[in-house]
This record gives sequence, C-alpha cells and structure tokens, in this order.
Amino acid sequence: MTTAQIRFLSLWRREISRFMKIKKQTLGGPLLETFLYISVFGGALGSRIKELHGIEYIVFVIPGLIMMALATNAFTNNSSSILQQKFMGAIHDQLSSPASPRELLLAFCLGGFVRGLIVATLTFLVAIVLTSLGVAHVLVLIPAIVLVGFFFANLGVLIGVRAEQFDDVAFAQTFILTPLIFLGGVFYSASLLPQPWETLTKFNPVYYMISLVRYGFVGFTEVNIPLALGALTLATAALFLFNLRLFQRGYKLRS
Amino acid sequence: MLAHPEKALEIVELEKRYPNGVEALRGVSITIEPGDFYGLLGPNGAGKSTLIHCTTGLAQPTGGTIHVFGHDAISDYGEARAAVGLAPQEVNLDQFLTCEETLEFHGGYFGMRKQDRKERTEELLETFSLTAKARERTRALSGGMKRRLILARALMHRPRLLILDEPTAGVDIELRLELWHYVQKINAEGVTILLTTHYLEEADQLCGRIAFIADGQIAAQGTSEDLAARYDVANLEDAYLALVGRRELSRSHVEGGVAA
Repeated sequence: MTTAQIRFLSLWRREISRFMKIKKQTLGGPLLETFLYISVFGGALGSRIKELHGIEYIVFVIPGLIMMALATNAFTNNSSSILQQKFMGAIHDQLSSPASPRELLLAFCLGGFVRGLIVATLTFLVAIVLTSLGVAHVLVLIPAIVLVGFFFANLGVLIGVRAEQFDDVAFAQTFILTPLIFLGGVFYSASLLPQPWETLTKFNPVYYMISLVRYGFVGFTEVNIPLALGALTLATAALFLFNLRLFQRGYKLRS
Repeated sequence: MLAHPEKALEIVELEKRYPNGVEALRGVSITIEPGDFYGLLGPNGAGKSTLIHCTTGLAQPTGGTIHVFGHDAISDYGEARAAVGLAPQEVNLDQFLTCEETLEFHGGYFGMRKQDRKERTEELLETFSLTAKARERTRALSGGMKRRLILARALMHRPRLLILDEPTAGVDIELRLELWHYVQKINAEGVTILLTTHYLEEADQLCGRIAFIADGQIAAQGTSEDLAARYDVANLEDAYLALVGRRELSRSHVEGGVAA
C-alpha cells in the first residue's frame, strides 16, 4: 500500500469511526424514522390508497424512502462532521497533514456515502422481508444510488464548510433539503397532482433522483431515465469540482 | 531541486494579510538551522501563531516563501508538512476519539504503516504516562493529560522539525518541567524545535536562539545575550520589556524601588 493510500484510508476510517461511535443517533435514529414512515404511509394510508400506477402503494413509496434515507444521512453526516471538527479545531490535524485537498474531500464524501448506504441497505432488507419490493433494473439502480449518495454527501460537505454555527446546518436541512425531498414525490406520483403543482414538481431536482431510484426498484417512471442519469452525473461532478476548488482555496478551512 | 535543504526552516519576507485588511505578518524572515532550539517571543497578536499557521498549511501566506528542509511549504506541501510536527496553542483534540485512536489516525494521515503506528502509539502513550488512558475518549482527560496527548500527537510521525505553540500555557509547574525535560531530550537527539512562549525564563533556559516579533515584523534575533545587548539591558526579560515599551516594569526597577 502506498503512503497516499494509507493516508486516504486513515482519513476515511476516521469518518466511519465517528458515526459508528454514536450509532444510536447516526444509524438507529434514521432507521426508526424510516420505519415510522413505512408504518404511517404504508400501513395507515396504504390501506386506503391500495395502488398507484398499478403498484401496491407501500411498494411505490419504499424506493422514495430508501432514497430519502440515503440522501439525508449522507448530507447530515458530512455537514455535522465538518462543522464539529471546525468547532473542536480537530480538523487542523488533517489540514496540517500531507493529505491533498482531493484526498480530504474524497474521504469526507465517502464517509457520508457509507453512512447513507448503511441506512438505505438496512431499510431495503427490512422492506424485502415485509413487502413484495424487488429490484427491477439493477443497472439503473446501482448508478442511481451511487450518484444520489455522492451528490448529497458533497452537498453536506459544502454546507459543513460554509457553516459557521449549527444553526446554518439545521437551516439547510430543515428549510431546503427536507421540503425538496418531501415535495419530490416520495409519497406520491407527480402525474396525480393538479396543475400547477405537477409542473412545479418537475423543477425540483430531487424528483428526478426519486424517479431514478423508483425505476430501479419497481420499473415505473415518469421521466426520461438516460437523461436523468446524465443530468445527475453532471450535477454530482460539478458539485464535487466546486467543493474541490473550495478545499484547494482553503475556503473557511484555512485562514 | 531543493532550496537550501541544509536549513530546517527558512522563511523569507513572509507576508500575511487577512481579507479584512489586517496585516498579521509584514516581511518576516527567519532561518533555523537543523538541531536548533529556536524561540519566538512577542506580545499577543504579534504574529507568532500566524507564522506557525503559514508554515503548517493552516493559513495561506499572501507573500514571501517558506521552505522546510528545502521543501517549499506551498508547492511541495506534502514533503514540507511531513517534516513538521505541530503542537498548537489551543486544545484541538477530536472528542470522539480515544487517546490511542488520536495517535493512530494521525500516524495514518502521515502515511505510517499499521505495525509502525501501533508500536509508536504504545511508545508515546508510555512516554507521556497515558497508557492507562489509551482507550478513553479525549474529552475525559484532564487539562494536563490533553496537553501531553497533543505533544505526543505532534511527535507521532517522527517530525524533524517540532513546532510548539505555547505548549506550557496554563499547565502546572510539574508538567511544565516534565515537558521541558522531554523537549530538551528530543532536541539533543537531533529534532529541531521552534517554540513560542510567553514565559521568558522558559525561552531563556531552552532556546539557543530567540527572535522577538512585534507588529508582524522581526524586531531582533540572536542569543539571549545578544538580545540583552541589543536593547542595552541586563537580561532577556528586560530586553523583552524594552521591545514592548514597558521598561518601567523591569524587576531591577521594582526591586530597586522597594529597596529604596
């Protein structure tokens, strides 16, 4: 193993170690939250709605919940981790090491991605036991999961770097991320909405992410899959490059 | 090609201007030879920590150059930083980590292999009397233990240049003397040391050469005796008081006054 590989793995292991030490909060809480959504929207609401586009309602909803778990955990992990380390000053230990800006950024991204993936995978495992959820298009599902995870991991990094207090992170999560996810079609199909809400939904980027993940699991979609995958790839790459520039400049990290 | 690899630290015309317009460093130049124990003294806000931050990559200089053992701290930062160990002024330990993990991860950031990290961690925990606390989270440590762990972390990757930014601020006399003995020992073993401190007797006793920094500029540098001669006073403390414009606080005046 090269020196650079040891360095990168150490940076990444530190990120994993942080959320594993507080797993009741970082893994248990999000899992409980997802199961509550499944119970309320699947059990209670599902008994009345039955089906959407010929798909059992609970099965229609779960891909959106998996995507939501992936996105919020990848985002929260990174925004919290970076801000906490800035507050403690502990990030100086990494910034004064020989690690390059790219190594630092990738390690943060991968840390948040792994946390999101763990919660999403556990949700999926429970869902396949309790419902008839399967995987319809694995070749769309895998890139969709990877791209969504990395997009929100990068978004978390961006907010964490910019944030100067915990309120800044909470604001981004409560007033931007959560409304975008909830209004992106986790619990419903955009085509069932009255105008102008149907059209407005299509301006929400999260709608396309949910549609990709839903297509991967249940095979239903209202969007152009190759176009959505392409746009998400570009958006994720652009966000990563933007973050990389911030790390290279030391924006709010180095004085 | 390395620029003056024979110099441990070579800072030339270093400038740092913050976005708010504050000029923290205004053309600072210092050279530290390998094996030196070099002191940097100055009042609060003089630019000591900024100079250290520029050297270790925590601040970005706006002018001048920094070379660590010949490696440019900006263009060849990987090699330059690998040679430096930093014990910062503030306690900046990650509260989620144990003492063992703090050292282990730090070694990893500097590319140390697993077996080497394990052995070095055990050695340093033993050296700094922290073995019993190895698996405790850093937030559970006393102030003195945190200070020892910070020094252990700075030494983890066996740096050739150790930077100590006010390492004994707020520690008890026993720990201060313990740290003095340890840094003298590693200096004798060949580690170059840059020390900032407000304790003049500490600088007087430990440092072979000392620089006074004030208002972002080096006001004078040399041995303790050189500095006393430069300000035409009897000792380092009086030279420092002359630097900050408070000669009236000199012990010789106070003692003289009392005697009179």
